[in-house]
Amino acid sequence: MPVIELNISRIQKLVSGNVSKKQILDVLPFLGLDIESEDGDKIRIEYSPNRPDYSTEFGVALGLQGLLGIKKGIQKTSIKKKGKFAIKVDSSLTKIRPYVTGIIAKNGTLDSDDIQQLMWMQEDLHNGIGRKRKKSSIGLHDADKISFPLTYTTTSREHKFVPLNSNTEQTIDEILNNTEQGQNYGWVIENAKNIPIILDSEQNTISFPPIINSALTTVTSNTKNILIEVTGINKDSVEDALSIVMSTLKMAGFEFEELKISGNKNSTPQLKDRTIIYDPKFTSEILGIDMSLSNMVACMKKCRLDASVKGKKIACIIPPYRFDIFGQMDLVEEIALGYGIANIEPKLSPSTTIGQKNDITIKTELIRKTAVGLGFLEALNASLTSKKILYNMTKRNSSQIISVLDSKSQEHTILRDSLLPGLLENLSKNIHESYPQKLFESGVVFSKGEPIHESINLAVIIAYKDTNYSELKAIMQSLLRTNFKINSKTKTSKNQELFVEGRHADIFVNEKKIGEIGEINTEILETFRIRTSVAGFEIKLSGLIFD
Amino acid sequence: MSQVFHDIEKKILETLQKVPNQNPEQLSKNTELSIDQIRRGIEWLRLKGFAIVNESEKITFSLGPNGLDSLKNGLPERKLINMLKDEPKTFEQIRSALSGAGFNVAIANAKKNGWIKIEKDNSDSLVSIKEKPIETPEEKLLSFIGEKTVSQEEITNSLAMKILLSRPNYIIQTSEKLKTISLTDAALSLDTSISSSGAIDVEADVSSIFAARTHPLQDTIDEIREIFVNLGFSEIFGSMTQSSFWNFDALFTPQDHPARELQDTFYLEDMELKNPATSSQIKNISSSHSKNWKYDWKLSESQKMVLRTHTTCVTIKHLAEQKPENARIFSLGRVFRNEKVSYKHLVEFNQIEGIVIGNNTTLRDLMGIQKEFYKKLGLTKIKFWPTFFPYTEPSLQTMVYNEKLGKWIELFGMGIFRPEVTKPLGIDKPVLAWGGGIERIAMLKYELDDVREFYNNNLSWLRSV
Repeated sequence: MPVIELNISRIQKLVSGNVSKKQILDVLPFLGLDIESEDGDKIRIEYSPNRPDYSTEFGVALGLQGLLGIKKGIQKTSIKKKGKFAIKVDSSLTKIRPYVTGIIAKNGTLDSDDIQQLMWMQEDLHNGIGRKRKKSSIGLHDADKISFPLTYTTTSREHKFVPLNSNTEQTIDEILNNTEQGQNYGWVIENAKNIPIILDSEQNTISFPPIINSALTTVTSNTKNILIEVTGINKDSVEDALSIVMSTLKMAGFEFEELKISGNKNSTPQLKDRTIIYDPKFTSEILGIDMSLSNMVACMKKCRLDASVKGKKIACIIPPYRFDIFGQMDLVEEIALGYGIANIEPKLSPSTTIGQKNDITIKTELIRKTAVGLGFLEALNASLTSKKILYNMTKRNSSQIISVLDSKSQEHTILRDSLLPGLLENLSKNIHESYPQKLFESGVVFSKGEPIHESINLAVIIAYKDTNYSELKAIMQSLLRTNFKINSKTKTSKNQELFVEGRHADIFVNEKKIGEIGEINTEILETFRIRTSVAGFEIKLSGLIFD
Repeated sequence: MSQVFHDIEKKILETLQKVPNQNPEQLSKNTELSIDQIRRGIEWLRLKGFAIVNESEKITFSLGPNGLDSLKNGLPERKLINMLKDEPKTFEQIRSALSGAGFNVAIANAKKNGWIKIEKDNSDSLVSIKEKPIETPEEKLLSFIGEKTVSQEEITNSLAMKILLSRPNYIIQTSEKLKTISLTDAALSLDTSISSSGAIDVEADVSSIFAARTHPLQDTIDEIREIFVNLGFSEIFGSMTQSSFWNFDALFTPQDHPARELQDTFYLEDMELKNPATSSQIKNISSSHSKNWKYDWKLSESQKMVLRTHTTCVTIKHLAEQKPENARIFSLGRVFRNEKVSYKHLVEFNQIEGIVIGNNTTLRDLMGIQKEFYKKLGLTKIKFWPTFFPYTEPSLQTMVYNEKLGKWIELFGMGIFRPEVTKPLGIDKPVLAWGGGIERIAMLKYELDDVREFYNNNLSWLRSV
């Protein structure tokens, strides 16, 4: 979940109405914002990925105003249509990055903290809804440095311009290779010959989406008018991203003027509010709260939506940046938030069902109890383990190995097909502890099947100088006899490297092999640095004590 | 000082209280204990300050080979006198009768006793009795000792003993260290009948042994399972390996969602499930995604096998298959996240998740179940915060106040399944869902700061916790 940094004093100013720090800290969690840390005026909060509008102080302040009752309903945003600003899209972009949208934000002022907030917002939008800039990426420009109209077109890899934070002209290839943005996001355009580019009417490069803007249009604290452009692979997603930026800049004090967009299936964004007719029965059906229609309207307004009673229903008006709202259930949640989660009284209704454990659990619990009764300590190991322990150190056959892709941890790359190697590893980590050491584990093991088969095994291991095959066989037979009345036999098995030759066997129940038992080979014990005798067995419980 | 006595100690104490100053042999006889037991008992009592061991030397005498011969046949000088009883004899005659060194000894002692006179002839000397010889002190001593062993204290004529000792092989002198045991004043007044038979020193240190036990984390898992069952939930069991369809698609997670990337989810190498769901389920999920998330849903993505990232895939699959009208069910087990292992993150941990369908399925009911659940865990200071899950709406999380840490801790999450999840699978009623990670609760219970401890199988921890 994304984390952002806020200044309480700036929030107080944006919210207005003399709210205290405590009020702000108390209300934040009820917007769904978790406070990660607090350091004087600075706090770090975590917001949910479905609410990217909370990625700046502006968005958070907008939400706080609502819950605190300072300002409610939609933040009214009008777009002037003077026709001064336009962008044309070239058909060469179809297969690369076909869509662009945008708007002009006018007559605002930004200080360096504001600019920092906007940069962080951009970064969060790129990583979240922008899917690492593939789906959408945003460019903010000083509009007064630009000669309109703009063209969104393609160029060659030799095209040159001065990128953001640089003084020298660089080619597209140089930018891709030398800048941080190029290295991080170059993969989005892959090896395309035609490179997306935004040019102004004087052929100045404005932006190289989705990688980097030009230095020419850098937004500074002197910027009054801003061009917001969003490019991407899907028309709805670029407009969604634009709506977040607009709502943020509106809160920052900007006004808006239309950017006309045309060409290659592109069109000027409508950026209109939507209306959903809410059925109030859901408030009682889903929340369990009896509430008047006007109360529901008030709750929605506290969540910065507009709403009005329409007969027996509620017409709810949703601003474009709330694209997380799909339908009725989302509005139920808005009502709950507006009502205040803290005000909802939990209610314990008696259960009309009788609970019961799964048969697998019941039977496994029984056999675990017997193992403890026989003096064994329960171990728990990860089912995702390493090739080293599972196969190499135990010299087991790895032909049926099941791997996961790209694990971040070397110790967790292979799904276990046996429990004994893990128990040997446990003994190996405890050689300084007193003996005898007696361990058991029950757990899922995996094998290749259709496409994968899971079963529950039980393994038992015993380590001290006098242990031997016979001792363990007696334990194994007792485990199966107790409660389950299963009579097991051991039959000579063909040699395998895990066990001492002539001191291991297959375990049979009703002529069906259910496991293996034996003294562990001293060479293997040496690789685990275990300096005492060890004997172990493993049986498959699935199909034996449960299905 | 503890006054608990071993049976051995008790018997020794009792006999010494009756007859003070006994040696080990006497004690053995009187107590019917073996000498070894007596020795041990004496040592224990001595260390406890109840017995005094007096050590002394006992000297005894018995006759050697010459002494025994003299007892039977008389001393050499007595033999000489007996020879001379009828007539005087020459040296020559005497020497042949008294062989070896006997001759010189006999002549010398008889002369010293004044028993004989010796007249010199020209060729030999003639020995005759001078007066009637009486029994000497040495002879008396020999008969007193006889074949017995006598102690030094019994010898009245120490001069005669000195003489006999000076003559070779007449007397065997032995000396022996003797122990006599007596009781201290404290012991004399002890009432040994107070402590019951078989009592031991209950305050003494003993060596530690370790109980076999179930794993502490498993105990917490079992405890939580028990609470779910008590709340009316029935357990279902599902696979850890799942198709992306049930792990993600069925739960309204778009195919380009970051959670589905390799860096968050474990995909199984070269493993696909050709038919992850029924064709109508696939059709409905596909159109729900395309309509709501505005992208082209691909079957191939949903066929990829993953290690489940939550147990919700098990419950949703169960709901889609069974379509119960009224049910409380839960699933519990390991879930996986491709994360770097740290003190607060594991790649594999346990999760439990319960769902309610049918009656009483409002958010308030869900909150009520949570409150009851935490109450059964002993956690009473709780509150609810809104949160976000892709597949529930509304969604809440429980915050639980931890007195030790002095802060609110996020525990289980909950919500009502989105219609975008339930409708395509043919489930018409609202479904409450709640659950979370178990290790977090176990960490609070066992006061651990490092979640890895649960899987280290460190015996010193497992044996002591």
